[in-house]
Amino acid sequence: MTPVVEVTSGHRPAIPPTSPPNSSTLISPDKMSLCQNRLQEERKQWRKDHPFGFYAKPQKNAQGVLDLKVWECGIPGKEKTIWEGGLFKLIVTFPDEYPTKPPKCKFVPPLFHPNVYPSGTVCLSILNEEEAWKPAITIKQILLGVQDLLDDPNPESPAQAEAYNMYKRDRAQYERRIRQIVRENQAP
Amino acid sequence: MADGAMEQLPLPTSLAEVEAPNPPETISRIQEVLHRLQRSSEGWQLAQSLIAHREDNIRFYAALTLIIKLNRDSAGLSEDDASSLLENIIGWTIQALADGAGSFVVKKLCTALVTFFVHFSQLWPNCLRHFVYCLDLGRGSPLEGLDNALSTDLLVSKLDRRKLRLAIWFATTLVEEVGKTDMNAPKFAPLHDRLVKNGPDVVYLLARGFSPPDDNPGVKTQSDALTCFQRASHVPDLVAPLRQLVEPAINCFADEELFQPTAELFSDALSNYSSFFTPEHYATLATLFESDWAAAHYQRLLHGNHEEDGIAFGLLLLAYGDAKVQDLMRSTDPRSQQFLEKLSGLLAADGYLVGEDAIFVPALEFWSTFIETMIDSTYSDEEGTQSWKPFAEQHLKMVVMNSWRKIRWPPPNVFASWDSADRVAFGDARKDVADMLQSVFTLEGISLVAFFADLFLQALGAQSWTELEASAFCLGALADCVSDDSKYDQELSKIFSSPFFDLLGQAPGAIPLRLRQTGLGLIERYREYFERHAEYLPNALNLLFAALGDHILGGPAARSISTLCSSCRSILTSEAGAFIQHYQTIRDSQVLESLAEERIVLAIASIVQAINDEDQRLTMFESLYGILKKDFELAVQLQGQPGLLNLQQPDFLRGVDTSNPQTAAPTAENVSLNIALRSMRCLASMAKGMQDSKEYPVDLDSEPPALDPNGRLAALQTDILRVLIEIQRVFHTSGEVVEIICNIFRAGFSETLPGPFVFPPGAVTEYFVQQRFETARIGTLLSTACSFVGSLYRGPKVYVRPQLERLLPWVIAILQALPAPDADTEISVNGINFVDKVASKYLDILFQPHNSSLLEFFFLFSIKVLDGKDPLPKFASTEFWANFLSLKPSSADPSSPAFSIADTLTNAMTHLGPLVARSLVRNLSGHAARSEIDKLCEPLKRLVVTRPEAQEWLRAALLDDGCLLPGAAERVSAEERVAFLRKIVALRGARTTNQVAREFWMACRGAQFAYIS
Repeated sequence: MTPVVEVTSGHRPAIPPTSPPNSSTLISPDKMSLCQNRLQEERKQWRKDHPFGFYAKPQKNAQGVLDLKVWECGIPGKEKTIWEGGLFKLIVTFPDEYPTKPPKCKFVPPLFHPNVYPSGTVCLSILNEEEAWKPAITIKQILLGVQDLLDDPNPESPAQAEAYNMYKRDRAQYERRIRQIVRENQAP
Repeated sequence: MADGAMEQLPLPTSLAEVEAPNPPETISRIQEVLHRLQRSSEGWQLAQSLIAHREDNIRFYAALTLIIKLNRDSAGLSEDDASSLLENIIGWTIQALADGAGSFVVKKLCTALVTFFVHFSQLWPNCLRHFVYCLDLGRGSPLEGLDNALSTDLLVSKLDRRKLRLAIWFATTLVEEVGKTDMNAPKFAPLHDRLVKNGPDVVYLLARGFSPPDDNPGVKTQSDALTCFQRASHVPDLVAPLRQLVEPAINCFADEELFQPTAELFSDALSNYSSFFTPEHYATLATLFESDWAAAHYQRLLHGNHEEDGIAFGLLLLAYGDAKVQDLMRSTDPRSQQFLEKLSGLLAADGYLVGEDAIFVPALEFWSTFIETMIDSTYSDEEGTQSWKPFAEQHLKMVVMNSWRKIRWPPPNVFASWDSADRVAFGDARKDVADMLQSVFTLEGISLVAFFADLFLQALGAQSWTELEASAFCLGALADCVSDDSKYDQELSKIFSSPFFDLLGQAPGAIPLRLRQTGLGLIERYREYFERHAEYLPNALNLLFAALGDHILGGPAARSISTLCSSCRSILTSEAGAFIQHYQTIRDSQVLESLAEERIVLAIASIVQAINDEDQRLTMFESLYGILKKDFELAVQLQGQPGLLNLQQPDFLRGVDTSNPQTAAPTAENVSLNIALRSMRCLASMAKGMQDSKEYPVDLDSEPPALDPNGRLAALQTDILRVLIEIQRVFHTSGEVVEIICNIFRAGFSETLPGPFVFPPGAVTEYFVQQRFETARIGTLLSTACSFVGSLYRGPKVYVRPQLERLLPWVIAILQALPAPDADTEISVNGINFVDKVASKYLDILFQPHNSSLLEFFFLFSIKVLDGKDPLPKFASTEFWANFLSLKPSSADPSSPAFSIADTLTNAMTHLGPLVARSLVRNLSGHAARSEIDKLCEPLKRLVVTRPEAQEWLRAALLDDGCLLPGAAERVSAEERVAFLRKIVALRGARTTNQVAREFWMACRGAQFAYIS
């Protein structure tokens, strides 16, 4: 059986770091090409096989040349959840040390969700170098993980007070608010 | 049946029972007994006694038992035992073949042999040669006999076809199973070395396996050889010997039965290990692709049935193209050109995307790679070395043309008959085409726009609706590339001045819905064009307004109206009155979807905002606001007198939520709240629309002028505030009302020029201080108050102090009303953030004598929060303390205010320092979660750097066992704790502090830390 990536939001479980925390910040050319090669491969795999309703593509710079390290993605709300029908834009930024280090995922504009920071950055264990990130995790797995998180927030790792508070204290109002957000972000 | 009785059952009966239809509990109990037997010390004997059984299932179970025993107990076998075991298993395998056992039994025995190799490869280094030798002998034989045996190729040549096939099965399992182990792990490196040494023997075996079975036409081995070849090609060190087998493998294409696996093998190797093939191999494949055989396959692919025939041949061509993309792009020879023509032709197969035509999407993927490679080369190659470019561009033309044809919509009834996966896949494929076109634009620029503009006009003239839609879609895809640059306007004007827009304006049904949708979408996408060409704008907007009532087009049309009006606001100012009138007319005749209405209001407000003359601007504003105000009045009235409800009237219908049809009839209470909320949202949209879209240079030196609203504006602001307060009073339980009020305030906070929503700071403060702990969404109000402080700091200084002086006690009073610091995350976080903001710039307000008791409460509150478990307030508190400890209001002059503040601060820290130190130590000794350590280190670093007494405070806390996580005092001695303190102090706030703190935390938590946090 292929290894299953366990996706949990936030900071549990605490898994010891996969790489030394004080690893050098100098990037060798090898690492750069490792990052680029892996992203080329990710792009190829995504084109071949991606889940329905999602999109993910590297952004283009001013000359129209692809910048493989910044991807614009769309996460659809899952069917049969209050998020169904919505499509949410996510910018995924890969560091030079990718895939040793995880990419950063940011909803643009920031999303009302207990595990999304006010800046829009997603708080998810598989995106945390010191937790569940593994270099083998693919972009597809990340985006599916973020989609799962939408309807299944992790109250143990709140990232914004407003959504977290409403989720905890007034679920009915929380759900009304999500429906409103979905209406404002309808999938075409 | 008792357990004991079950265990005494003769085993074959039990196995039969597992297969027989039995209740699940019986099966699982039998299975449990079998598993226990397999794992027991008698397992070897069990396997031996069953291996010759006449039943295949029982033989299979015996082979499985061997595998389990090898994996569990091989360490207990001596070398002699292992060697005789090997001889036995080989014997049983050969016997099973001779007995005519099922292939699943024989294959399982091969797996048992490979399992033996994995555990004892040192005893069986030439496993394949030895196995072939035994096959030739017809029995298991000791390894020693191998020294005098014939060479492997001769041994292989002597095997009959069935034995040959068995040897191939063994080799397949061998490369597959060993290939799964990590060759870089020291444990498996010798295993891999020994596998690689078997490589030449694998080649002898497969070379014969690929040969036609002249000796026994009944047993074909090519397909097994292909499988083995494919698995072996995944092992990097086997690639070199395997290369000699590529030619015989290519020959398998000719056999129709073998075509599918052969094509899969080559597609796999070309896509994943393109360096596997030599230039000669590529040339052979290229020749193959030029053959009549290939031409027949290609035609079947273009005109056949993909569901029945598959697309393996197409994927093979594409994999070849992918592997050779650089060469193909740069080669201008006829062979390469013809091959690329074939690949662009794959975009023109029969049938609709994707359900009927399965090759389009993979073919488009290849072309996207091709185009990206072209773009990279265009920028990296030197000028003059791009003689290939015109050739490549010819292919792009075909790619674009074929894609344009392919994205045409099927008739609605056909589309409706597809399952949802096919429908979604169709849309996704269109998006892929849009992406591809954007890449082509990078290379081709204006000619691509002109190309689609021509197709568009031709289709319009011929009234070919699906082609017109496809052209409009492609032009829409290019909007992001061309919309903001006027050099494309000449081409775009051909489209926007065409009769197409008259068509869009015709009654529904005149043209297909899809075409209307795409056409209207085009207007939004090219909003920048309309900014430059105001002459087309009224027509475009009229079309959009006309579509508002349509339940499919209404939502997108409203969005288009809002983006278009917002972008083109300054050229539409003279139309503001007409727009408002139009809005009123629509409201009189229908109930728009709520979000659509908000967008219309936003659109009109953004036009109003752009009116230069202030009086005229306010007149227009009042007229729009007046419409909403009537709703507010109605909502309040209905709330007071439920009997007024009359669902025949459109005004009341606005309060019925049509998106969420309820079974029960709407109540007056419900309707009134919905009317209020809907109009509040419209008011918030007005506030957003009234935001200035221009950017002004920021002058950092000069103070922004104080706001001086004239009488009319002031009266308007007072009225809006009055309405907001009244609505909040009437619908006091609604959190949404408060949320929208906050949004309205926030829209004004970011403005620098006066406006109806840029309320006087005093009025905003007055609103806030009237709110109580009990007010719905008080936490959100506190967060809005924080934004307010931010806006005050950006504005004229004169307003700041009076507001902060009033707001600070209000905020702290709300914190005081909390039953516990962790009772409401939002209140705690925003309360702490608010005080943090005040302290950062107006520390003296914090330290005003009359605030002292409030402040004392706050400090203790923030320390309790720091000690607590709720992460967000805890982070807010760490940030507060990190900032607070960094404050330096120092002055040498005792008469200056700064001197007295510095004095107060020092006094305060004498009391607070030990408490903060204690809380930090408490957390770092293991109370905090691991992920909180970095944040907690910030105040710790500031404390060490700024306070000379910090060392003493921290020492006292560290040496007080009661302050630490239970058990930490035993795990970390007092000396170690002092050593930790010494390190922290010596680091003077350096980054390494975090690492030291982390180690301390781990030591305090002990071994189980990983499972606790």
